[in-house]
Amino acid sequence: MNIVKTGLLSGALALGGFAAHAADDVTLQLKWVTQAQFAGYYVALENGYYDDEGLNVEIKAGGPDVAPSQVIAGGGADVVVDWMPSALSAREKGLALVNIAQPFKSSGMMLTCRRDAGIETTADFAGETLGVWFYGNEFPFLSWMAHLGLSTDGGDDGVTVLKQGFNVDPILQGQAACVSTMTYNEYWQIIDAGLTPEELIVFKYQDQGVATLEDGLYVLEENLSDPEFVDRMTRFVRASMAGWKWAEENPDAAAAIVIEYDETGAQTIEHQTRMMGEIAKLTAGSNGTLDEADYQRTVDSLLAGGDDPVITAAPEGAFTHIITDAALN
Amino acid sequence: MDVSQLLFGVIVSTVLLISSLIIAAFAVLWLSGTGYLGVKVLAAAVLGVLIFSGVNAFLVKSWTWWKESKIRPLPDKKLFSFVAILYVVTVIFALWYAFAIVLNKNWAYDKATRGGYELSFSELVADTWSQKKPRLPTPDQVAGEIWKSTGTAAAKKWERTEGDPFLERISEVLGDKRNLIRHAWLTLSATMLGFVFGTGLGILLAVGIVHNRAMDNSVMPWVITSQTIPILALAPMIIVVLNAVGLSGLIPKAVISAYLSFFPVVVGMVKGLRSPDSMQLDQMRTWFASKAQIFWKLRLPASVPYLFTSLKIGVAASLVGAIVGELTISQDGGLGARMLQGNYYGATLIIWAALIVAAALAAVLVSSVGLAERVTKKRMGFVQ
Amino acid sequence: MTLILAALVVWAIGWGLNIWISHQKPGRWQSIVSAIIFGITLVIMWELIVRGSGISPVILPPPSMIINAFATSTDILAADFIQTFMKGVLTGYAMGCAAAFLTALAIDRSDFLKRGLLPIGNFVAALPIIGMAPILVMWFGFDWHSKAAVVVIMIFFPILINTVQGLDAADKMQKDLMRTYAASYWQSLFKLRLPAAAPFIFNGLKIASTLALIGAIVAEFFGSPIVGMGFRISTGAGRLELDLVWAEIVVAAVAGSAFYGIVALIERKATFWHPSQRK
Repeated sequence: MNIVKTGLLSGALALGGFAAHAADDVTLQLKWVTQAQFAGYYVALENGYYDDEGLNVEIKAGGPDVAPSQVIAGGGADVVVDWMPSALSAREKGLALVNIAQPFKSSGMMLTCRRDAGIETTADFAGETLGVWFYGNEFPFLSWMAHLGLSTDGGDDGVTVLKQGFNVDPILQGQAACVSTMTYNEYWQIIDAGLTPEELIVFKYQDQGVATLEDGLYVLEENLSDPEFVDRMTRFVRASMAGWKWAEENPDAAAAIVIEYDETGAQTIEHQTRMMGEIAKLTAGSNGTLDEADYQRTVDSLLAGGDDPVITAAPEGAFTHIITDAALN
Repeated sequence: MDVSQLLFGVIVSTVLLISSLIIAAFAVLWLSGTGYLGVKVLAAAVLGVLIFSGVNAFLVKSWTWWKESKIRPLPDKKLFSFVAILYVVTVIFALWYAFAIVLNKNWAYDKATRGGYELSFSELVADTWSQKKPRLPTPDQVAGEIWKSTGTAAAKKWERTEGDPFLERISEVLGDKRNLIRHAWLTLSATMLGFVFGTGLGILLAVGIVHNRAMDNSVMPWVITSQTIPILALAPMIIVVLNAVGLSGLIPKAVISAYLSFFPVVVGMVKGLRSPDSMQLDQMRTWFASKAQIFWKLRLPASVPYLFTSLKIGVAASLVGAIVGELTISQDGGLGARMLQGNYYGATLIIWAALIVAAALAAVLVSSVGLAERVTKKRMGFVQ
Repeated sequence: MTLILAALVVWAIGWGLNIWISHQKPGRWQSIVSAIIFGITLVIMWELIVRGSGISPVILPPPSMIINAFATSTDILAADFIQTFMKGVLTGYAMGCAAAFLTALAIDRSDFLKRGLLPIGNFVAALPIIGMAPILVMWFGFDWHSKAAVVVIMIFFPILINTVQGLDAADKMQKDLMRTYAASYWQSLFKLRLPAAAPFIFNGLKIASTLALIGAIVAEFFGSPIVGMGFRISTGAGRLELDLVWAEIVVAAVAGSAFYGIVALIERKATFWHPSQRK
């Protein structure tokens, strides 16, 4: 009796072990901490879309010190979420990143200013202090300022740039006239802190015609010659996009899933639900396929970076449709 | 215990602390204003030094006068210390509340101006002590936040796991991501692992440096150089490199923590192993002691007090290293990750709660080393 | 593979040279030369291993690339050095040392305060003060003032504790002797207690010299103008300009070591009588 039991048990274990091995491992490195910005991936994980595709996905959250491009170069991830400006810049530095899917159609980045600092239009920027994120996020800002013809070295006819931390303190405390915000995150932190929308004026990169592509999925070019890897990524993108579409339709449930996966336990459901609502607006209109017109606009905007352009030559082969074509048809 | 002496101590300390407060307030006011700052800093410093030395001179005079005025019995040492600590803590708390008003008042006024109403002083105080995202939260707000993220969180989880087996419920509660206890535990485990690595490495290096001239000459300067490299700059690279060789989770944090903690151990141990003076070394030589005997019977025992002093610094450095590591590897949680998240969302209460818990952790770690020190020293006969 | 083997050979040669040097007649040049040889050996090994094992330069650039970055961006490095070291670190160090030293002298006069403050000072010195950096940036703004404030807070307690302990270092017999000479407080302070405290104070100053630069750089991670060593290091990593990041780290290491070295040199001149200064 015991022998039979043991035999059955070890058989079951072996089977379980076999099943676990059969699933292909994929490691995804996010650009930032666990939040609704990445809801699609967490939903796909939680709802078993990755399991259905035979994938064993590990999602690594990022943070301010984590450069996704560096992680993928070090072999710490198979695929990363990054913004196109920083990916293209990395590509020019010799790290051949390729966009395989673009879940975010529109840009959520904007500059939020206090009206009492005397700002109504972009012409009022001259002589002011503006808060900007760095860590690879400064590129869209630099090319926008180049468009406006403003120098970023300070002075009366230029703007003084402040490396803003990870929060909106500079605008609350009057250290900067404007700070960078995302529609889905920092803007609401300003509102939560007690400033009203009427007291603020926002300049969306999308409206200013300088929008660059945000959260996309990038892999190393050399891996794309491996059919097994392409197949793995195809399944990954298919499941991820299913996750995104589910998250768009069920924002409340998606936010709850994100909260579950937040290891630090510091996120609140209210903030994440609101963020999910805003994120859904950005992912709407993309089935995951990169729109070449958007890509071209991003490249043009980055090339026109004034004296110190983000990229010096139009990149070749920085995106591919093979994965999205295979995944979505 | 002589009450009059206690009273005098209280008065003296009050004067001194108030003067420090004035200096601090000056520094804050001068620095936070606009204008030519170099001059202001200089002026503030000169002013601070003047106030300080003036107060000091006054205290010395009155102290001597008091001492000579009458002969008083020696105070009960333990009670005296206790009251002294209690007093200083009270003053710190008072200052804390006062600073909360100073630092949070701008936002209160800002709100009032935009809302178009006047603030009376009591309203101002009430507002500054209860803001949702204060620049400086009050101690009671921080305590409330800590309780919320430990006790209340545990109670909630306990209710939610109703029906599960008892032990499972316990582990569910302790493993709750929303519970600060779990994050403190994560930080503690990285700290301890790093501390063990760091101490081992430090002692080995110190023994090598003391016994091998080549190592002393060539390695020691680079050991010092290693500490001038800002660890927060290296942390992401250390993590990427370790990730590339397949190490993740606790190990990278422990490596960073060891990187910070090995240094005090090396410095202290080298000093300690060299602390026997030439008389003692000569004595060993007259006994024909071998190099190994000198090491085991003289140098090593003589280095023990130095080792413990270094270990106390080292364990604190380990904690800093673990927290720095968690700022970078924030996905696993830990106190550093809480601080980062709090900073990211401008939630000062979360930062302060994590800071205070980290402080408590530091206190526990350092005092455990202190306890070990006392026991060891007693057994080795350093103290009678 | 050959490059990695070459690295091992370089290591063997360097170490052999150092052992040979250590067997020569002791002299002043010895320690300096060995340290330099050791450093050069490490750098050559780094270059060979990075090239030999094909590590991507966006993870760890070889020293030759770093030297190149050094040469091409001297102006950036100089501006960053002035912002962080000259303004932030030195101001903070001077203010922190002065404040801690004066506080220690003041506390020393009152047994009550010493008993009350020392345990708390010890406690605060062990705290992860780095966690205060974002808070101080919030309080003092983005420019170098908040960095100086972080430096002050980081070094205050180590120096305070060391000085207070040092002032107790003179033993009873010595103090009694001063009393039999009818020495005043100040005489006994300057002629006995401060010299006796010097090794402790210098210990504090040395610890503070390494803490100061780290504190300032860490504070720059939490918000800064677009100049400064911490700014360059944190943003450079995001832009994959790892060669510039490492050049900045080299500047930090050189500046920090020089700072420590100067303090240690002063210590050696001032406390030549202490057993730990014996070679």
